Amino acid sequence: MKNKPFNLFLIVLVTVVSLWSLWPTWRDYSLSKQMDSFASGEDSLKFSVSHREEIENARKKSLKLGLDLRGGMHLVMEVDQIDLFEQKAWNKDARFHAIMESVRKQASNSNAQVIDLLSAEFGKQNIRLSRYFYDIRNSDREIIGKLQKESEDALARAREIIRNRIDQYGVAEPVITTQGSRRIIIELAGISDENRVRNLLKGTAKLEFKLLREPEVMLRVLDKLNSSLAAQSNVPVAAADTAAVRIPAGVPPPAPVAASKSAGPLYDVLTIMQNGNVYVPAESREFVVKLFQRSDIKTLIPQDSELLLAAKPDQLQDGRNYYSVFLLRKTAELTGGVITEAKASFSAEGAQPEVLMEMNSEGTAKWARITGANIGKRVAIVLDGAVYSAPVVQSKIPNGNSVINGIESVEEAKDLEIVLKAGALPAPVRIIEERTVGPSLGADYIRAGMLSLLWGFLAVSVFMLFYYRTAGIAADMALVLNILVVLSVLAGFNASLSLPGIAGIVLTMGMAVDANVLIYERIREELADGKSIVSAVAAGYDKAFSSILDSHVTTLASAYLLYTFGIGPIQGFAVTLMIGTAASLFTAIVVTKEVFNFMLSKNMLSEKSFG
Amino acid sequence: MRIFHKTSFNFIKHRKIAYVISMVLLLSGIVSLAFRGLNYGIDFRGGSEVVIRFDKNVEVGSVRAVLKEAGVSGTLKQYGIDRSFLLSTVFSGQTNELKALVSNAFNARFPDNRHEIVRIDSVGPSIASDLKWSALKALLGALAAILLYVGIRFELKFAAAGVVAIFHDVLTVLGLFSILGGLFAFMPLEMDQSIIAAFLTVAGYSITDTVVVYDRIRERIRGRKPSEYEAIFNESMNQTLSRTIITSGTTLISVLILFIFAGPAIRGFAFAVFTGILIGTYSSIFVAAPIVYDWLKATKSSVRLRGGSVS
Repeated sequence: MKNKPFNLFLIVLVTVVSLWSLWPTWRDYSLSKQMDSFASGEDSLKFSVSHREEIENARKKSLKLGLDLRGGMHLVMEVDQIDLFEQKAWNKDARFHAIMESVRKQASNSNAQVIDLLSAEFGKQNIRLSRYFYDIRNSDREIIGKLQKESEDALARAREIIRNRIDQYGVAEPVITTQGSRRIIIELAGISDENRVRNLLKGTAKLEFKLLREPEVMLRVLDKLNSSLAAQSNVPVAAADTAAVRIPAGVPPPAPVAASKSAGPLYDVLTIMQNGNVYVPAESREFVVKLFQRSDIKTLIPQDSELLLAAKPDQLQDGRNYYSVFLLRKTAELTGGVITEAKASFSAEGAQPEVLMEMNSEGTAKWARITGANIGKRVAIVLDGAVYSAPVVQSKIPNGNSVINGIESVEEAKDLEIVLKAGALPAPVRIIEERTVGPSLGADYIRAGMLSLLWGFLAVSVFMLFYYRTAGIAADMALVLNILVVLSVLAGFNASLSLPGIAGIVLTMGMAVDANVLIYERIREELADGKSIVSAVAAGYDKAFSSILDSHVTTLASAYLLYTFGIGPIQGFAVTLMIGTAASLFTAIVVTKEVFNFMLSKNMLSEKSFG
Repeated sequence: MRIFHKTSFNFIKHRKIAYVISMVLLLSGIVSLAFRGLNYGIDFRGGSEVVIRFDKNVEVGSVRAVLKEAGVSGTLKQYGIDRSFLLSTVFSGQTNELKALVSNAFNARFPDNRHEIVRIDSVGPSIASDLKWSALKALLGALAAILLYVGIRFELKFAAAGVVAIFHDVLTVLGLFSILGGLFAFMPLEMDQSIIAAFLTVAGYSITDTVVVYDRIRERIRGRKPSEYEAIFNESMNQTLSRTIITSGTTLISVLILFIFAGPAIRGFAFAVFTGILIGTYSSIFVAAPIVYDWLKATKSSVRLRGGSVS
């Protein structure tokens, strides 16, 4: 009993702190209610302007709802480390590519670190890493260390660039974190256009200016490819390749000059125009892209060149969509690193969206030299491996300006502006996990969660009253405080409440009263042994404590493990379960005991009070 | 009000019956796990799930036909109750394309029945295998932590029997998932992360009930001869029967509420916790304590228990 003033003080303190921490949530709720109550939008706008600071403050400190309740996206992206390492390697040969191919295959179905797979594979082939990476004098271990550092840097840079892109796009409170050595986790709430966000995030935004090879060279290369493929398709084994070609049946190419050439697997899907332009119909694009990436095809293309397709289709005379094919010099004349400013705009002639770019002084000088030396030739502007435009250089460009056109919509121009400004990712990233909840389902989840909370509370508290009578009141008071504490801790630590989190609270309610049940059952026993109410209550708390502690510790331990090993939604559940269990140690023991002490002092408690 | 007031069941005498029941439960679960296996959710198998909700009622068959026509592979099931469908298909990082394909197909075929894609979950194979490992680690970690804690608080035999009981509970629920998986449209019972959360909750809770019984045994067994153990075990279990059942009862109530109200996303979890707690309550009386008793009897040792309240 000597602790009594202290316990009372503690209870009051906890209650006040909880209420104080939840106050902004209440303000936020009532303010938005008030705003909705206005008849006209004008009134509510006026209200929100005049109360702006208060609204913002309340919102900032209020209990946040999780992505699943608000609607939003949870994305996990992976930086392609193999691509990164390939970029770092030099004098790459067929053997190197074969090794990387095998590492890529292993990495896609294992959890091992890419760097370990890489060194294991090199070890198996008995090749020193220094043959391809860094300096010939470096030991394997040094190179692994360097590559590891490189991939850490790449991850950090990728995160910054992605953050920049999202900030430019404008999303409220994005959460961007890294996990392990190659993953970036992105949480975005209240997205109206998911597709745009996805496109914005996953593009590498690698901008390159590349010179076109002469049309005759390209035609020669295509000829070579076609005859090689034709030879292959005569061999029955390779028949599957041609079967995969989806040949547009019965549609004659618009202006065939290649008619004299015997058709082959490639010429079946290509249209060659008089002026040397080559087109692929939209439906065959995928086939051609895959074809150009085949390693046996790559060897037929001159070492210093590559075949790329246009980013957007053109409509030809027959009304169908075609993608242009380009043969470019592999080495970029200039890359996106020199771009300092990008601006979405419209072309001078009309409504065509385009993006204007400015370069830094180094880029400007280079650009002037390149354009000056190549007047009359075509320079392609390539973004992430697709050709946006390939204008003919009319004159030397001295001021470092360039423009990307061939863009479909204003939005796309805006997105390009964002990614160009944010800079290129050090390596490609892929979306490896995505969880998107639409706002309407979020509203459903909120309703379901609230119903469960309400019914859970009613059912448990009514049961306690029914089963333990007067003593049930104390347990129910403790239960209310317990829920308050959980919510306020969430609000205070800026954690968010998700549907699994609500499930955790509902479950906690059922478990929190367990401590009371243990105490009350013990008190009943002590009373049955003929003890007075005062000593029975004291003994009940004393003797039940050991079981209560054990059960709480085990629950906390498993919730903690769940938190450590689980991700995303499950962590929300683990967090509320942990807070609720820990809080119930206090509420179910200290609070109820004080209530009983008060009742005893007022003679409100008798032998009958425990049901 | 009181239920189970002053009971005197002879639990120890009938423990062999309980062992048989437990063995049957476990064996049927294991057999089903071996032959029927488990339905893995996308968390563990990788893949994409799309939940589509229509404004008006529409037949599953016709939705399926439209998707097939559009070239979307995968399975389509009714989801929850209200005009919603769940499409499961292979993983692709390009959810844009999947979404466009599905949307265009429905817009063309059901022009006067608007639809909305309310949820997309997509989990890549590398994440899925990560999640599997984490789940396993968390479960094993929890069992080890509980073994250690109960071992310190009581003694090794008690701790080991408690962990056996947890194994029993989790394995039985796992068996139920295998047996009942896919039988009910409102409750697909797929193994996903939330089920692992349920298992850990069940593990934590199962030991709670067991500890209550242990605690009473510890309180009464001090300084008694092994010949009296049977009576002590029986009395302890009878004395704690009421609280074991009431504590489980309150938790069962709240889990039942979750099952009914919290929607299809939580239903599998609620089912696992509900059955887990039911079985956990049974096992704390019929599995954990009897194993300790048999063990003590077999080794003819007397108990040296740590801790406990001084009285």
